[in-house]
Amino acid sequence: MERRDFLKFGVLTGATATLTACEKPVQQLVRFVPEEDFVPGVATWKPSLCTLCPAGCGVTVRIMDGEAEVVRNGQRGILKMGLAKKLEGNARHPVNRGKLCARGQAGLQVTYHPDRVSGPLKRSSSRGSGDFQEIGWPEALSEVVTKLAELRSQQQADSIRFVTGEMRGHRRELINQFLASLGAPAAVQFAPLDEPVLRRANVLAFGRAAMPSFDLERANYVISFGADFLGTWNSPVAQSIGYGEMRRGRPGNRGKFVQVEQRMSQTGANADEWVPSSPGSEGLLALGLAHVIVKEGLRSNPTEINSSREVEEKLKDETYSPTQIATRTGISANRIERLAREMAAHPPSIAVIGGTPLAQTNGLFNALAVNLLNMVLGSIGSPGGMFFAPGASTVKEASSANQSVDFVAQVLSGGLENAEVLFLDNTNPVFAMPPSWQVSQKMKRTPFIVSFGRFMDETSVLADLILPDHSPLESWLDDVPESGTSEAVFTLAAPAMRPLHNTRAMPDVLLEIAHSLGGSVSEALPWKTFEEMLQASYRELARAERCHPTDGFEKFWGRMLEQGGWWDGQCQIHSPESPALEFQAPEFVPPRFDGSEQEFPFYFQPYVAEAFLDGSLAHLPWMQELPDALSTVMWGSWLELNPKTAEKLQIQQGDLIQVRSRHGSLETPAVLNPAIAFDVVAMPMGQGHAQFGRYAAQRGANPMSVVAPLQVEQVGSLAWAATRVSLSRTGRKGRLSLASGALYEQEKELELR
Amino acid sequence: MSHCWGMAVDLDRCTGCGACVIACQAENNVPTVGEEAAQKSRTMHWIRIERYYEGEFPNPRVRFRPVLCQQCDNAPCEPVCPTYASYHTSEGLNGQVYNRCIGTRYCANACPYTVRTFNFFNPVWDKPLHLQLNPEVSVRQIGVMEKCTFCIQRIKASEIQAKAENRALREGEPVPACVQSCPPKALVFGDLNDPDSEVSRLARSPRGAKLLSELGTQPKITYLQRDSWDGPNS
Amino acid sequence: MLQHRLGALAFSLVSVATFLLCSCARSRSANDSSPGSEPFFTPAHPTVANAVKEFLGWRATPIQPIAFPHNKHIANGIACMVCHTGVSKGPVAGIPSDKLCMRCHEFLASDRAEVKKVAGYFNSGLDVPWQRVYGFSPSAHVKFNHAPHIRAGVDCSRCHGDVTNMTVAVRAVQINMGFCLGCHRAQQASTDCVTCHF
Repeated sequence: MERRDFLKFGVLTGATATLTACEKPVQQLVRFVPEEDFVPGVATWKPSLCTLCPAGCGVTVRIMDGEAEVVRNGQRGILKMGLAKKLEGNARHPVNRGKLCARGQAGLQVTYHPDRVSGPLKRSSSRGSGDFQEIGWPEALSEVVTKLAELRSQQQADSIRFVTGEMRGHRRELINQFLASLGAPAAVQFAPLDEPVLRRANVLAFGRAAMPSFDLERANYVISFGADFLGTWNSPVAQSIGYGEMRRGRPGNRGKFVQVEQRMSQTGANADEWVPSSPGSEGLLALGLAHVIVKEGLRSNPTEINSSREVEEKLKDETYSPTQIATRTGISANRIERLAREMAAHPPSIAVIGGTPLAQTNGLFNALAVNLLNMVLGSIGSPGGMFFAPGASTVKEASSANQSVDFVAQVLSGGLENAEVLFLDNTNPVFAMPPSWQVSQKMKRTPFIVSFGRFMDETSVLADLILPDHSPLESWLDDVPESGTSEAVFTLAAPAMRPLHNTRAMPDVLLEIAHSLGGSVSEALPWKTFEEMLQASYRELARAERCHPTDGFEKFWGRMLEQGGWWDGQCQIHSPESPALEFQAPEFVPPRFDGSEQEFPFYFQPYVAEAFLDGSLAHLPWMQELPDALSTVMWGSWLELNPKTAEKLQIQQGDLIQVRSRHGSLETPAVLNPAIAFDVVAMPMGQGHAQFGRYAAQRGANPMSVVAPLQVEQVGSLAWAATRVSLSRTGRKGRLSLASGALYEQEKELELR
Repeated sequence: MSHCWGMAVDLDRCTGCGACVIACQAENNVPTVGEEAAQKSRTMHWIRIERYYEGEFPNPRVRFRPVLCQQCDNAPCEPVCPTYASYHTSEGLNGQVYNRCIGTRYCANACPYTVRTFNFFNPVWDKPLHLQLNPEVSVRQIGVMEKCTFCIQRIKASEIQAKAENRALREGEPVPACVQSCPPKALVFGDLNDPDSEVSRLARSPRGAKLLSELGTQPKITYLQRDSWDGPNS
Repeated sequence: MLQHRLGALAFSLVSVATFLLCSCARSRSANDSSPGSEPFFTPAHPTVANAVKEFLGWRATPIQPIAFPHNKHIANGIACMVCHTGVSKGPVAGIPSDKLCMRCHEFLASDRAEVKKVAGYFNSGLDVPWQRVYGFSPSAHVKFNHAPHIRAGVDCSRCHGDVTNMTVAVRAVQINMGFCLGCHRAQQASTDCVTCHF
C-alpha cells in the first residue's frame, strides 16, 4: 500500500475507525511509559521525532525524573516529572540509524528555552508593537470560534488563510481537513529550505515532486553541484552516514567526491576535488559532462528513457562541448573532459544538486541538467545511485508540488491583504523573505491573525492572538520522511514529557475549535484529540497486508510507540515509478543577476548556516555558540570574501563592511576565506532577528535585507542567490567572536610517524 | 583485565559537522558563555573542530580535525598541578578532580593541545534551561579547570552495570557522547588493552598518527590521516 | 590568647578585603547573556559565612513542609524501598511523588492534619517541596550511586542512622570523604578519585 493511499484511506475512513475505537477505549490501555514508572535517577529512553528540519530523523529522548517549577491551577510550585535530558538518534530508525546532527541534539533547548510563549496572548496595543496581555484558553478559543462562525455565516470562509512551515504527516492532514470543513482554501506552506525548484525538475524528469535519496554507501563517484548534503541539505544525517561508508566502509575502494560551488561549504571542504564554476553555470557544466560521456560512448549502464535517442542527439550538439562552455563555466575544457571520463569510468556515480544553483534565476535549468546527467550516468534507481524513497509520495506531493511557490504568489498577488483571518503555524516569512516584498506591511492589513508560535518571532509579533503550541517533545508527532531511506517509514511518537507551560498542542486546539463550531465542521473532525486521529488512521495501516499484525491493533500500536514508528525492512531500493517520461534536453538559460557589474561588482551568495538553517534555530544558545565549520564564528553574522579581494579593497579580518545592493544595505564584519571566488561574497542566513528570544534578538544582520526580489524562472520561488552587491568600509571594527583566528596551520601538528 | 580506554579519529570520515561538539555539551553540562566571553576565547567546549585551509583559490583545500583531551600516557598537565587535581587514574585517563582544583591553570599552560577550559565565571543556565542538565555529571563552578573525561560517567555506569550482571564489559560499551553522535562514524572508542577491539585495529592503521607525537606525550587518541583519490582502488 | 585573637582578626580582615575585591572585579552587567554576576568569596564559596560553615561542617537543619513520621511508617511494616524505590536500581534512592503517598492516604488516616497537607498538594497538581537532608555540597563534586552499595550489602543505617526512631529524617551520620574512604578501604573497594568525583 502506498503512503499516499494510506493517508487518504485513513483519513476517509477516520470516522468509522473512531467509532470502533470508542467502543473499546484503546487510547487508555496503551499509555506509553506512564509517568509514575520512573525509577528516580535511572534514565528511560523514549522515541520521538526531530522536527527541526525536513529530514525527519527518529530520535530517542533520555528521560530522567526531575523537579520542574510549574504553575498549576494558578499556583506555582514544583512538580516531579520525567524531564528530557538528551536527544540521540534512534538506533532503529532507517533514516538516521542512531545518529543525530548538532541541530537535532540542540532541539532539547526548544523545550527549555526561557523565552517560550508560556500561555495564550492577546494583542493589547497597535499591531507590531509587541505588547500582549495574557489571556485564558477559553477566552482565546472563543475569540477564534466567534470570528470563524461569523465568516461562515457571511459565506466568507474562502477568505481564511492558513500558512504553515515544512510539515508532513497527519498534522498537515488535520489542518487541511479543518480548512476543507470550513470551506476555506487549503493551507499553503512557506519553508525557505524546501526546494521547489528541484521538486519541479523532478516532476518534469521523473513525474515525482519528491526530494531524491542517494545510495552513497555503494557509490564510487559523487559530484555535487552546490548541495551542502553533509551539512544542511535534504537528509544530512543519512547522507553523512552514507558518505562515511563511501570513504572507508569498503576496504580498498574509496569513492571520489567532487564539489562544484563558488564558496566552499562544509560539504565542499571534504571534497577530493573542488570545482569553482561561475555562478549559475552549474547546469551548463552538467550538460558539458553529459556531452562528453555521450559523445565518447562512455555510458555503462544508461537509464532507458523514451526519448533517449533525441536527447542523446541533442547532447552531442557542439553547443555543449567542453571547448564551447569553458568560458561560460570558468572551467577548462581539459578538466571537464577529465571529470566526465573519470565519472564514467568509476560507476556507480551520482550527481547531486541543491542550494545555490537552484536559487539562481535559471535554477530550473540547472536542476534539469543535473537530472539528465544522472540519467546519462545510469544512476537512476540503481545501486549506488539516486532514487526516491519508496512511496515518498507524501501528502505534500499529492496535494501540491510547490507549496512555497504558492505562498510567494499569494504574497505578490495580494492574497494576504484580502484575507479576513490568517493562521500561522511554524513559519516566519517576515524574516525569510526580502523586505521589498513587504510581507510585514501586507500582514498588518489582515484584520485577524492567529499564530500558533512557540516563540515571539518577527511574524508572530504581528498576530492578534498567540495560541502557543507544545514543544515537539511534549506533542504527539508523526511523519513520513521523504528521503534518506530505502524503506517505507512512518515515524510516530507519543509525548516524551509532560508540558512545562500553559500551552496546548496545535492539532488539539484545531479539533477543539472545530467542535465548538459544531455542525458539519465538528462532524468532519470526529476525533476528540490528535492522538485519537492518529490511532484511527494507523488502524488502517495495521490492516494493510505488509504489516502482518497477527496480534491485534493494540499490540501493533504499542510496538510502533516503543520503536518510534513502523518501517518495512524488506522493501529495498525502488526506482522511480515512471522514469520513462518524455524527457527533453533542457535548453541553456543564462542566469540573470540584479544590479550592474560596474556598480555592484560582487555576486552575493547567502547560504544556509550550519547552526541556524534558515534562521529558525538562531534562538538556541548551543547553536549560537557552535563555531561555524569554516569561518569558526560564534554569536554573530559575517561576510566571507577572498583575502586577495580584501587586500584590493584594503579590508582586514573583522572590519565592519557595508554591503549594498539595489534593494538595501547591511553592515557586518568581514571574514577572510581563501576558498571563495574573487568576485563572490557569501553570508550565512539566520542571524539578524529583530526578535526571537534573548539569544537571537538584535544579533548580526539578515542577508535577506539586501536580496533582490528576483524569482526563479518557470517556478516562481525566490532566487536568493541572484543579487549583486558592492562593498565599502565603514572604518569601524565589527563584533566578531572567532574560535580560531588562524586560516592556515603554522606548523604541521599531525604527521605520519 | 583492566581497561585502557582509547579513541581513533578517522579524518577521512570526519565531515566537520559539529554533532560531537553539541553531544558533548549536552552530556557533560558544558555551559555556553555568551558573546562577550566567546570573543575572549573563553568558550568551554571540551571538543572542538579545528579547521585549516591549505592552498589558495582556485585550488584551496580544508582539513577538519576534532581535538579533545588526548588522555596522554605521559601527560604534561599532571606533574604541574600543585594540588594533585590533575592526576593519572587507575585506568590511565587524565583525571581532573574538581574539588581539588584551586584554579592555578598550570595544567592549561602545560597542555600542548589546549583542550583544558577554565571556568572564568560561574555557569548560568537561564531558567528553565537548567532542566536540561545531566544529573550524572557535576556542574563545575568558577575557578575550576575542566576538560574531556572520555565521558567517565558513562564508563562508570557501564562498569557498575556489568558488575551487577556479573559479566565483563562488551565491545561497544561504554560509548562517549561524541562517538555516539558522529554520523559518518569518524570517532571510534574502545579498550586498547583488547587487541581485537575496533579501536585497537584502527590504532594499528598505517594511516594512524598521534597529535604532536614528537613531544612524547603518548596520547591515547590516534588520528587516521585523510586519504586522497588517485584513481580506482586507491 | 591575644595572639589567637589578632590572628582571627587578621584573617577576617583579609577575607573581607578579598571578598570585596573579587565581587567588584567580577560583577558584570545583568543583561549580558554570559554567566556570572553574583559576588563570590572563593571559587567554591559565595560568601565568607558559607565558607566557614562548610569548613566546620555546619548545615542548616532542613524544615520539611510536612512532619513526615518515618517511625510510624516503618513500624507499620513499610520497608525503605517501598517509597525510596530507586535505591537498589540506580544512583538515586528518590523521594516519592505525592501520588505514591495518596495511594494509601486517600483512605488511610485521611483526617489527620499532615495527611491533609499532602492531599492539598496532590489536589493542586503539585508535589511536596521536600528538603534535602543528606547529599553533598555541590563543590564536593561527588557522584554517589546507591545501587552498588546496596548490592554490596551496605545497610541503609550505615549512612542514614537509625531511621526507625526518627520522625522527619535528620542528619545522624557525619558523612565526609574520610567516612567514605574508611569503608572503601576496609572493603577493598576502589579509592581512585574518579570513582566518585566526576
